[in-house]
Amino acid sequence: MNESMLCTKTHEYVLEQGDKYEVGITDYAIEQLGDIVFIELPEVGAEFCKNEVFATIESVKAASEIYMPISGKIVEINEEIVDSPELLNDESYENKWFVKIESSADQVEFADLLDYSDYKEEIE
Amino acid sequence: MTKQTFLHDKHVALGARMVDFAGWHMPVQYSSIIEEHKTVRESIGIFDVSHMGEIIVFGEDALPFLNKLVPQDVTKLVDLKAVYCQLTNKTGGIIDDLIIYKLEDKKYLIIANASRIDEDLNWMVRNKCGFDVTIVNESHNYSLLAVQGPKACDLMKSLGLTDLPEFFHIKRGELFNINVWISRTGYTGEDGVEILVRNEFSEYLWDKLLEAGKEFGIKPIGLGARDTLRLEAALHLYGNDLDEDTTPIEAGLAWSVAKNKTEDYNGKAKILEQLENGGSKKLVGLKMLDKGIARHGYDVYFNNEKVGVVTSGGISPIRGDNIALAYVKNLDNLAVGSTIQVLIRDKFYNAEIIKRPFVAKRNKENK
Repeated sequence: MNESMLCTKTHEYVLEQGDKYEVGITDYAIEQLGDIVFIELPEVGAEFCKNEVFATIESVKAASEIYMPISGKIVEINEEIVDSPELLNDESYENKWFVKIESSADQVEFADLLDYSDYKEEIE
Repeated sequence: MTKQTFLHDKHVALGARMVDFAGWHMPVQYSSIIEEHKTVRESIGIFDVSHMGEIIVFGEDALPFLNKLVPQDVTKLVDLKAVYCQLTNKTGGIIDDLIIYKLEDKKYLIIANASRIDEDLNWMVRNKCGFDVTIVNESHNYSLLAVQGPKACDLMKSLGLTDLPEFFHIKRGELFNINVWISRTGYTGEDGVEILVRNEFSEYLWDKLLEAGKEFGIKPIGLGARDTLRLEAALHLYGNDLDEDTTPIEAGLAWSVAKNKTEDYNGKAKILEQLENGGSKKLVGLKMLDKGIARHGYDVYFNNEKVGVVTSGGISPIRGDNIALAYVKNLDNLAVGSTIQVLIRDKFYNAEIIKRPFVAKRNKENK
């Protein structure tokens, strides 16, 4: 967990990186899912509104939908985890982001996101 | 109120993730479902399945009573032999799937699904009129430990049980000076045993088996891997693949229906009719051709027409692909080799109908 991450109550995170944002799911979510066996990511160029489903992740037990924490346009996807979803369960693997987006989300969209300490409290 | 088995605290201490299943707080995984799955296929795993039901039926009419309840021919059971069967309703639908053990003359043990114990007992009582029989629910007195895998019998033998029961037989035995019933059965497709023990000894036995099993590579296995293991072996899960609107014939269980049984049983007319002509639906095995996972409830299509529904699906850790069980219309062109489509999140994914089981069984059935 990076302390600059902003998280949703549904366990997605968004992390500002220069003019882009990195979006993924939290370590807590990965741990809860268990063995991850399939990830479906959108195509570069696709646009999503906040709270819209943009990805699906399947563990051995079930399929889970992943929601956009803020609205934006996909500019890069993590092909590595699509090819080898089990990397997400590998603690030594660091590139666990799903997509990078460009976003012009205004402050309203960030209002319900939790900062690091609030999220930690939420999952405890 | 969620129930706990007598091993609940052991699971928590082992770091298991606990979930609610059929009214019980049960371990779904200790480490990783895939790792646990492979442990059972490669060496040996131990499962707490104490949530399952134990019902004793005894009395002068125990045999004719049970024979009225199931399509199998219970008269064929000799002492200490077991049979897989279904409790059927008047229209042949499956109330539960069971294993019946003949313990001795006029005394039988039934192992039932946790989620169905109450329904089973109600149904038995409703059918009891005119039979001199006593039904006792012993579920709350017994724990059930499954020890499964290619090394399961080696472990048992190393503990002094040199004369294990044959496949689908049960025996009294002694493990660490505790009296147990040992049954050569399981729900994984592997060789192994299920050990019935009184609750007060289950924690001790669990610890002892884990300790003695170390040299064989034993690990505790949760319900997650139990599900992937039984799916590879194409063993039905009640509530997913079996229900009161599905007959044994439709479920592909004709092998467990006696063909020449003279006695009447619930649903006999319907079951015999379907044995002759087939049911309106049939169970098939699927292998996903496209990269997608079929799950319970997903629709199955053929030539743009909905022809069925997936009842169990997931990954096969051993095959390395995705497999499923589905019910489809009983049509000749929906057979092994046919390509059908599974609707996953509004997109069609190709799948092929293949033979069951998905992974060859390695229990005594085939030896």
